[in-house]
Amino acid sequence: MRSRTSGLGLLLISPAMLLLAIFFFTPALLTGVFSFTNMSSSTGISGGAYVVTPNLLKALSARGMQPATIEALEEASYSVDADGLAAARAADVDPAFLDEIEARYAGRAYATDSDFLAALKDLPSRPRRIRDLKLAMEPFTKSVLNVRFATEELARTAIAERVAGISDDEMATLLSESYTGWVWTTENFGKLFAGHETWRIIANTIFYVATTLTLFNVTLGLFLAVTTFYLPKKLGAIFTVIWLLPRITPVVLYAIMWKWFTWDDGFVAVLAGELGLPSFNYMKGSVTSAWTIVIMVNGFIGASFGMILFSGALRSIPIQQLWASEVDGATRWQQVRYIILPQLRWPILFVTSYQTLSLLTSYQEIWLTTNGGPGSTTTVWALESFRTALFNYSGSLQYGLGAAMALLLVAVGLMLSIIYLRLFRFGELVTQPKIEF
Amino acid sequence: MTIMKKTTTLAIASALLSATVFGAMAEDYTISVWAGGSGEESDYRVKAIEIAADLYEQEAAIRGEEVNITVDTQLFSGWDDFKQAVTLAAESGTAPNIIVSGHEDIGPWAQAGILRPMEDYVDFDAWPLNQVYDNLIQVSSFDGKIWGIPQDAESRPFFFWRKNLEGIGYSAEEIDALPQKILDGEYTLYDMLGDAKKMQEAGLVDDMKGFMPRPSNGPDYWQFYQSFGGEMVDAETGKLVFDKRALTDMYQFFVDAVEMGVVPATYLGGDWDTWHGSVSAGKAGAWHGGTWHYAQWTKKNGLDDFFGNIVYTLIPAGNENGRANSITHPLVYLLSTTGSDDDAALSADLVSIASEPRINALHAMKSSHLAIGKEELNVPLYAESRWATEATKNLLPHANALPNSADFGVVWTAMFKGLEASWTGVSSVEDAVNAAEQTVGNALGDKVVYRNHGM
Repeated sequence: MRSRTSGLGLLLISPAMLLLAIFFFTPALLTGVFSFTNMSSSTGISGGAYVVTPNLLKALSARGMQPATIEALEEASYSVDADGLAAARAADVDPAFLDEIEARYAGRAYATDSDFLAALKDLPSRPRRIRDLKLAMEPFTKSVLNVRFATEELARTAIAERVAGISDDEMATLLSESYTGWVWTTENFGKLFAGHETWRIIANTIFYVATTLTLFNVTLGLFLAVTTFYLPKKLGAIFTVIWLLPRITPVVLYAIMWKWFTWDDGFVAVLAGELGLPSFNYMKGSVTSAWTIVIMVNGFIGASFGMILFSGALRSIPIQQLWASEVDGATRWQQVRYIILPQLRWPILFVTSYQTLSLLTSYQEIWLTTNGGPGSTTTVWALESFRTALFNYSGSLQYGLGAAMALLLVAVGLMLSIIYLRLFRFGELVTQPKIEF
Repeated sequence: MTIMKKTTTLAIASALLSATVFGAMAEDYTISVWAGGSGEESDYRVKAIEIAADLYEQEAAIRGEEVNITVDTQLFSGWDDFKQAVTLAAESGTAPNIIVSGHEDIGPWAQAGILRPMEDYVDFDAWPLNQVYDNLIQVSSFDGKIWGIPQDAESRPFFFWRKNLEGIGYSAEEIDALPQKILDGEYTLYDMLGDAKKMQEAGLVDDMKGFMPRPSNGPDYWQFYQSFGGEMVDAETGKLVFDKRALTDMYQFFVDAVEMGVVPATYLGGDWDTWHGSVSAGKAGAWHGGTWHYAQWTKKNGLDDFFGNIVYTLIPAGNENGRANSITHPLVYLLSTTGSDDDAALSADLVSIASEPRINALHAMKSSHLAIGKEELNVPLYAESRWATEATKNLLPHANALPNSADFGVVWTAMFKGLEASWTGVSSVEDAVNAAEQTVGNALGDKVVYRNHGM
């Protein structure tokens, strides 16, 4: 009987587990994998090829590779020989055209693309499309320069054919240096902590999370919950709904409203001007005002979350305790301090830990408002990680480095969760009741 | 009646049969094209491919072939989202056939294997590509191959509002002589800051509006590095260059501008619309932008008399190490590896047709860009534009391009981060330069030449 229940339980939970595996564990695992690579928009994700390029040869020459090897690899030529003709036939080049090539140019060699192309253009059966002409040229090439070899073996064979008697060392150097794809590395983490920039972003992140969490998510959330609790029920409900607006408004719309509100000629600037204060773009015009706006934009969303949770918890406090305290002459503050707050420890723990993690990983509101500016003064870790990996002006996307940043964020999140659980004595909160109902 | 019926049936059957035969012979293609950094005024970047498809179909019909081409177009107004979309789509095999992007993307994308070399698909010695400027073809090349076809050209000049210069004592002749003075290195960026300050003091422009640089990242900021003697590429080795002294002088220039009160410390990241509104209405003393902004200011911001109100010049030299300069940042048509070789061949043909002078001139004139080839100067629509003609003659000969390198993006990002940090005052100039050097050194090591390292 017991095992049948477990089987049913497993069956019921399996869709959730599957979704969790697809949408959480796999991305987290891939982040971990990516963070130990140098993957970027230059290396690609799906794998590389082997390409010997002029720049590579220049670099290898400066590093002392044999001039004879370099020269042999540099030479780009075409020759009309039996091998080339056979390869062209195998590649389905028009036989009439090949006959003409053989008849007119057999035994000749051409140093450049344009020489050979010009020669082929003279033939009566030449294909009309330039692409077909170029495809007909390919089998005759003797060059490895700028040819993309899909596997190491293909590259090795082609290089060995081109450079007779190449040494093993040179071959190994050529193969490793001509590889265009990503490689495993542990350097991302070292790179991150080598610069001052990283420490500034860490300081920004700590400031942002701590301030938003303390002032808004917990304190304002609590304040709203307690004040609406003491209001008549209907009035309290209206206030609750108003405070939920930032959360239920789509984030893009919410950010645009803040932009209008704080823009050069927006409400805040005009009001400040009327009051004799400096009138400027409060979202981007000064570092202090930019931080204030960033914290408020996030804080108002976070406050409603705390408010809902705390309100629910407040309603579960036996009302008799409050009545009894009033009989004893307790003030509102004393009720809050000695009855309400002690019984809200669990929700406060939950809001603090959940919102810390949520703030640590959230960047969308900052991205859409100050975009980390002015300069990069309001840039936080999650935003920087997103920009490094996926979104920057120069298009230099460093997936590996960005993933390493994200992985550190996951590690910090886990550590903080453990600390919070210990600090708030989570174990005691979830112990089995002594009396069985 | 029976005969009639039979004839009708035969006629219908033969019509159906011939339709089927012709239907089988018809070739249907769908070619997709995405363009980055393109608003409504730059829509000819993709519309040119539609025009080319129409011409291609007509030429094919004359040859007796039936080709039906559907062109799917998409414009991205920004660069960040566009580059993200292209790279991720390419990895998943869903990139567009034709990509219109900045030439500096050729390096990383070619290395990552998401591009096909354009030279394998077109003939650069035949019309219309044989009249495209050689330097633009160079800009479309990387590591021994031509990867793209230039889509447009431009230049990034410096601008002064004439009345504001007159307000601080310049005569009309002196204003007209300013471009030459800047070219000769007799008027530097610091002279400009001095004039900007005077304009503010005279009440001609608001405080902090004497100098209004580009509000966001862009190739433009490399111009200031060049103004202070920086080079982006080492001519001898072909490697990227990190010139510590030039970068220090460049960062210091913007810090000095902040200290003089002609530009705010929190300037970067500002709003483009506000910027356009200010500079096109004489509310700024000096600024720098792009030749294509002409279209924005004259068509959208109501600037009626551009030449009567504005004088344009190269970016002045910063000090004795540098020179007056400008950067051209051509966009290029690129072929992705997505799709069949046949799709790519057709895409290349379409791009080739779209580069015909008359078609390219539509884009150049609508968006105030410059010609890609010498024959385009003879297209009446182009020839009658004073701005296009003057900018081509006065600015382009002094303009250079960003390097095509798989690693340039790393140097660029480091340069701009350092600029942001020093400009906003969160780092000293020295710390910002050291941080940039460290980032570049960690990422690229000896792939970069470090100049004036021990300054």
